[in-house]
Amino acid sequence: MHTTASTTTVAAERTVELAPDEAFALFGTPRAGSWLFGARCDGVCPGATVSLRLPLDPDGTGPGVDVLGRLARVVPGALLEVEHTQPWRGRLAVRFVPAGRRRTRVRVRADVPREGVDWLLHRRGLPLPEPPDDGALRLGAITTASGTGAVYSVSAELMAELAVDEVNAAGGVAGRRVRLLTADDATDAEQAAHEAARMARLGCRAVFVNSTSASFDAVRRRLEHTGVLVVHTVINEGGRSSPTAVRFGERPHAQLDALIGPEPPARWFLVGQAYVWSFGAHAAARRAVERAGGHVAGEALVPLGTTDFDATVERVLASGADRILSTLVGADEVAFERRCATAGVRERARTISLVLDESTLAHIGPDAATGLRTALGYFQDTALPGNAALLARYRDAFGPWAPPVTALSEGMYEAIHQYARVLHADPDADAAAHGRALVQGRSGTAVGARDLLRPALYVAEAGRDGLEIVQQVTARSQDRNTWMRQ
Amino acid sequence: MDGREDDAFDALSDRVRRRILAVLGEDGELSVTDIAARVSSVGRTTVSTHLRVLRMTGLVRERREGRNRYYSLDTEGAVRDAFVYLQTILDRAVGDLHTGDGVGASSPDGPAREGGRRTG
Repeated sequence: MHTTASTTTVAAERTVELAPDEAFALFGTPRAGSWLFGARCDGVCPGATVSLRLPLDPDGTGPGVDVLGRLARVVPGALLEVEHTQPWRGRLAVRFVPAGRRRTRVRVRADVPREGVDWLLHRRGLPLPEPPDDGALRLGAITTASGTGAVYSVSAELMAELAVDEVNAAGGVAGRRVRLLTADDATDAEQAAHEAARMARLGCRAVFVNSTSASFDAVRRRLEHTGVLVVHTVINEGGRSSPTAVRFGERPHAQLDALIGPEPPARWFLVGQAYVWSFGAHAAARRAVERAGGHVAGEALVPLGTTDFDATVERVLASGADRILSTLVGADEVAFERRCATAGVRERARTISLVLDESTLAHIGPDAATGLRTALGYFQDTALPGNAALLARYRDAFGPWAPPVTALSEGMYEAIHQYARVLHADPDADAAAHGRALVQGRSGTAVGARDLLRPALYVAEAGRDGLEIVQQVTARSQDRNTWMRQ
Repeated sequence: MDGREDDAFDALSDRVRRRILAVLGEDGELSVTDIAARVSSVGRTTVSTHLRVLRMTGLVRERREGRNRYYSLDTEGAVRDAFVYLQTILDRAVGDLHTGDGVGASSPDGPAREGGRRTG
């Protein structure tokens, strides 16, 4: 076995009785959407968001895994190149070579780095490789590279890497280099707990969880009394926390206060996932709707991994609701919003969505997403001090087609930087002392020092060109209701 | 598609087999008795059955010493299988390239594989 860092290329080809431009046009179109792993993209141009589905079972049954990326190079009639970060970082190229009159050789090539092979082996049950003992101080980052959450977690691992690289470039923590261990929880709480236990065994001082509340809870329980600090770095419903289990990120009640104002009484339909996140968010929503003088006409809760929303959308339409709250996440939110758009829901109701980051929005696509609103603590276009420089460093490190930086991945970056400062100040203190210092140290507004416990929110609306910020809600004014602008 | 690969992906869904692989990953080479002691939910006979499947699918290798058998991870075999899997799904993807609306017919050229690895 080659243990050096390497990329392996796998290729396959076929000749079709079509001119190159005709064969090229079959990529990503609804008619031939299934030919290259069901490729879906809303435009065939550089930067366009692409999703493909790899079958994991050899007979093509079973759920498969989504490859999420962007078109990096497009030469009409000749070449398509996809750069992807999920479930591993790699590249997929399709070449169209003329092979005689109205014949084209279509050649598909996949570049799979060592980490991609490790991901495949790990998915089949083999343990991840053990990092060498290099004396570095270890931190763990659990993100979601596969399953429903892969859509919103696309840049989380990259942002964790960027933070750790910056900490090391600035001299490390208390004189030691920091080493990041990463793992994919596959949107599965049990898998998250398993990865966290491995990180604790390998000596990680803290584990940052960029995943669902279900995964966070499982990690928190598994690492209780191990002396490892657990930090939830994404939007969540709040609730139980302890000095060794810190929960950062936006809270539904603050988002809803920013999104629902005093307006004519509205009929609401709540759509969410059947687990603790949506339970908490919908409880907050019922209170917010009542305060605004509206009422909840219906609610649907679906399991993570739902792809067919026909019945749910029918219920939404039958309810006569003119407002929809979605607390769906990742691929489920993508599928729901796309179905709403084709079913004519947009003409009947306005929708607010709590986990609508730039990546989720890009996968919904501008046709289906226009008009959706959300409120989050970070958008790429925010004028936060230090944001332009952060984005420049990110593009510099990961290239022009790296996935968007989002509230969810920026939170990961922030949390690691803030924890590194706490650890640097008192490296020998225990996890509880670090957790308390992490929660107390917040106060700023600049990138790298944002208040993650009670973040200032921005209300944004989706348009043809992405999310446009329409209002800023400071942490202080979150106590008041603010208008949902018409 | 060969049967060997089918079995490999059966293993994927089986938590007992995952547990066996995790135990071997942490402790290296172990006997059936050692493994059964670590995988508490099932008996020795069941562990043996799973080990046979894992060995057939190339994920685990067996070493005999006297009357005892010892098992360890076969990472090389697993990597080989991962590439068989990737090649299989790419071949199927180009095989699924329909020209749409009955325009033209396609002729498969069979799989083409680029040689070896390149460092990068």
